[in-house]
Amino acid sequence: MGRTRPKKLTSKASIPVVREHDIDAIEEEVQNALQQIETGVEKAEESEFHLQAAINASAQGKVNEAHIPTPETVLSSLRYDELYPPIFSQPATYIRFSSTVEDCCGCPYNMTEEDDVFLKIMNEKRDAADRCTEDQFEEVMHFFEETAQTKQPFAAVDNPPVLSFTEIQDAMDAAVEESVKRFAKDVYEHWKSRRTETGNRSLMPSLKFETGQETDDTDPYVCFRRREVRQIRKTRGRDAQSADKLRRLRKELEDARQLVALVRQRELARKEMLAIERQVFLQRSEVKEMKRKLNLKDDDEDLINQKPKKKPTEAPAVQRPVAPQLRMPPKAGTQAAEDLQLLEDVQAEKENEILRDINQNIAKHIKWNEGYVDFTRAPLSPSPERTFQAAFRPAITAQLPTPPSSDSSENMMDTTLDNPSTLSLRDKLAPQTMVMSDDTSRMPSFRRRIGRGGRLFIDRRNLVSRCRVELDPWKADRFKYDQEDSDEELDFERDQFDIHIMQHRAIMMAKARDQAAAAAQAQAQAQRRLQADQTANNPGQTMGSNPGPGAIAPTPET
Amino acid sequence: MGVRDSHGEATATPDPVEKGFATLNTIRIGVKAMVQKDGELRKAEILSIRQRKDGPSFYVHYVDFNKRLDEWIDSTRIDLSHEVEWPQPEKPEKKKAGPGNKAPSKNAQKRARAGSREVSATPDLLTGKNTNIGKAQRPSKAGGKENRDETPANLSVLDSEAISADVTPKPEMEDVDMIGVSFTDTKEEHEQGKMSREEEIERLRTSGSMTQNPTEIHRVRNLNRLQMGKFDIEPWYFSPYPASFSDVDMVYIDEFCLSYFDNKRAFERHRSKCTLVHPPGNEIYRDDRISFFEVDGRRQRTWCRNLCLLSKLFLDHKTLYYDVDPFLFYCMATRDETGCHLVGYFSKEKDSAEGYNLACILTLPQYQRLGYGRLLIAFSYELSKREGKLGSPEKPLSDLGLLSYRQYWRETLVELLIEPGRESMSENELAVLTSMTEKDVHETLVVFNMLRYHKGNWVIVLTDQVVEQHNKRLEKEKIKGSRKIDPARLQWKPPVFTASSRTWNW
Ligand SMILES: [Zn+2]
Repeated sequence: MGRTRPKKLTSKASIPVVREHDIDAIEEEVQNALQQIETGVEKAEESEFHLQAAINASAQGKVNEAHIPTPETVLSSLRYDELYPPIFSQPATYIRFSSTVEDCCGCPYNMTEEDDVFLKIMNEKRDAADRCTEDQFEEVMHFFEETAQTKQPFAAVDNPPVLSFTEIQDAMDAAVEESVKRFAKDVYEHWKSRRTETGNRSLMPSLKFETGQETDDTDPYVCFRRREVRQIRKTRGRDAQSADKLRRLRKELEDARQLVALVRQRELARKEMLAIERQVFLQRSEVKEMKRKLNLKDDDEDLINQKPKKKPTEAPAVQRPVAPQLRMPPKAGTQAAEDLQLLEDVQAEKENEILRDINQNIAKHIKWNEGYVDFTRAPLSPSPERTFQAAFRPAITAQLPTPPSSDSSENMMDTTLDNPSTLSLRDKLAPQTMVMSDDTSRMPSFRRRIGRGGRLFIDRRNLVSRCRVELDPWKADRFKYDQEDSDEELDFERDQFDIHIMQHRAIMMAKARDQAAAAAQAQAQAQRRLQADQTANNPGQTMGSNPGPGAIAPTPET
Repeated sequence: MGVRDSHGEATATPDPVEKGFATLNTIRIGVKAMVQKDGELRKAEILSIRQRKDGPSFYVHYVDFNKRLDEWIDSTRIDLSHEVEWPQPEKPEKKKAGPGNKAPSKNAQKRARAGSREVSATPDLLTGKNTNIGKAQRPSKAGGKENRDETPANLSVLDSEAISADVTPKPEMEDVDMIGVSFTDTKEEHEQGKMSREEEIERLRTSGSMTQNPTEIHRVRNLNRLQMGKFDIEPWYFSPYPASFSDVDMVYIDEFCLSYFDNKRAFERHRSKCTLVHPPGNEIYRDDRISFFEVDGRRQRTWCRNLCLLSKLFLDHKTLYYDVDPFLFYCMATRDETGCHLVGYFSKEKDSAEGYNLACILTLPQYQRLGYGRLLIAFSYELSKREGKLGSPEKPLSDLGLLSYRQYWRETLVELLIEPGRESMSENELAVLTSMTEKDVHETLVVFNMLRYHKGNWVIVLTDQVVEQHNKRLEKEKIKGSRKIDPARLQWKPPVFTASSRTWNW
């Protein structure tokens, strides 16, 4: 009492650290004043018997006595190993995981004993082959529950009668699984009676969320309310910004909607076209039938659409020395969509322009050089058009050695959109071609010509009967619009394409090798026999047509 | 005395407590009687009564004991040879503020029922389809106004009934909830500086708090028993699981997805389908014993809700009033061949305005007293260190939380102070090194009597006591191996949430 007040202690002040025996007396009053420290525990609980005992014990250093009793926990009688199988293996790296509970739990409906009894009886009435499994049963029940939830979202408030079967049937669209549809009728009555028992409440126990009623506020079972959005400071600039963003968003959404509407329109047109084509085909078969009756000689020509498909995008004038890649017979993977053809047009036009420029420049150059001898090492390279245009190209040019990685499939649309990627795709393929075909003269080859009126011709050479004409633009065209309908379909197309092409390649290579080997052997034998004392004149040529010795003979298709 | 929600009122007009002898038939809700507890007699308040075949059963709260020890007892444990304290009669002015004529009439009816325990007295509107008086009554006995002995103003049946009314799980009762009554009541109680319910909710809304005012949490435990993993567990407090769950003896919790079932067969079916084997987030820490997973409340809404429901069973002051979106959950798990088993967790606001580094913390009861709580706390500070911030847990702490924190704080500070060659240190230095706030550093030093004023100067005293405790701990660690968080194994960068994600709750 009455002593000087202690100095104020600031947090930055360095305080000497000492042991207890370094100091003697404790200045009691100061200590007492310091003891008023808040615990941070709820006031009402602070005084609880066990907490006080524990605080005192720990203050006296008896940490082991600082113990607050809690209700006890015991080992369960449930068979843990049956419920929790040992399926976990720890990865070497830290786990990264984003699936949700819903992703991991399968069908949300879980059968009860009551359901077991019902299902057993239900299945007894059915053939062994047509029984409902527990999983299927749960799917059905879940479908009912979900439908009820959608159709009667306020069942807890306005107590409507249990959903009728007709109403449920209405909800069965194409997305509903077949098994659900099959067992729905049988299970319905059971579901209905269970719903009736619970006053048309959900059979799956659910939490109570906000209903918007006033009672929400005091109902302790109502939990996980939406937290209102934090208030941001409002300024005019911010308002304008937000309005702008919203407007842009709206426009983008509108565009998307427009796009979908147009796609729909296109698909409808396509459907109509298919119907008409079918009509045509039917009528043609009638003609054929008729011809047969009249005993007219006939092949199947009548059944096939003879009309060559014209390609409006191909400008006949285009003579492109550097861009034949762009005009390769369209592969399934690089189809342009209909609405993208405009772009192609534009691109072709641009190219034409460039080519025209080049040609003009060449002409100018020649004119300019007239009367002069050009001694530069590599004079202006001649336009390769003549040699190239007429050349047959081996069929394997377009082959992919392995299915493309999935990320490239995402960029599919883009490949038709911009030339560089088309080019680079081809560039990537080019080395493959080199490795695979030492001798392309025996490989199936294709040449494309453009005839009068822009008609497109594909000349084929060394075609094996087995060879599928993947590169036939007519066929490819058929799938032209299937590509962007959905990503899955897209992948499927590509996969199929790749498998076939691989198969095709295997056959080709085997054939080529066989033929080459046979030819070489025959030649060598003939040479040996006829000119036994002479060395072969031209072994290199023979060798040259052999595929690499290291090549593994592919197994013929099964 | 443990005056939970009325300490402010203790100073107000203390009416004399009405005492007298009671019989089993006159005991009603709100009565405080002497009850046998662990071999001694303790005063306990009757919070609920239910009828069973073999006689009535009473839900009691022991005065000055934590609510987690509340329990159902049979009549033989009530010692009627002692006088009981009767609840205070209702104060008439409270009725005025009622929400309309419905409330008082219902209270009157309920009072009648409470007094006589007459089944038939329960209005249809309250029981609805469910004519089982036990079921209908149990949840409505939240009462919650325990520890009322010094607060006669509140010792009214109306009062406790009014509160209880809003606790009922029966949907039929929703529309007759006693908002007004409990509301006014709360307001009156809070006149002396306590928060009103509106203020309370506003505070929850704006602060992102996970705890709430005690008036919200006075409830009778609603679940009876819990099966989870290898254990059967007794719940401690109320948690808003589906209301029908209070009717079953056992609630089954899937150890991994934390889904809940009131039916064993359904639980088993679920287990056969469930593929989750660890908390659904990214592992950010791994050592020989444990792993930590970071789970985002917004991305893993169902799991985090399940976790909150579960932990509410053991955390009195946790609130599930608002959704889990603004929180990250740091979940500690032990590993074996079946998966990563949740041992405990703490939640943390994505953006705490108050600088809290932890909102709620829980070690599941089946793993308590094994040192996991300390690891959780240590981990929360390790995150703060990574963030370069000082942090403190959100208040209020639970009794167990306080003990754990004080122990951690003491050990952490002593460990630093006892380092050889340490001659002096400021509180700020200690805070920076530990990521504890300066306030927590200071108070810890004071609480353990380490900060003293000696000969005109402040000194930090490493008392014989804390030194001894420190040495004991070192010895123990030598034998058992130390349980520490190794910062090198923490693969974590403080997550950044853009302004828009916070504004739009994305
Ligand atoms: Zn699960």
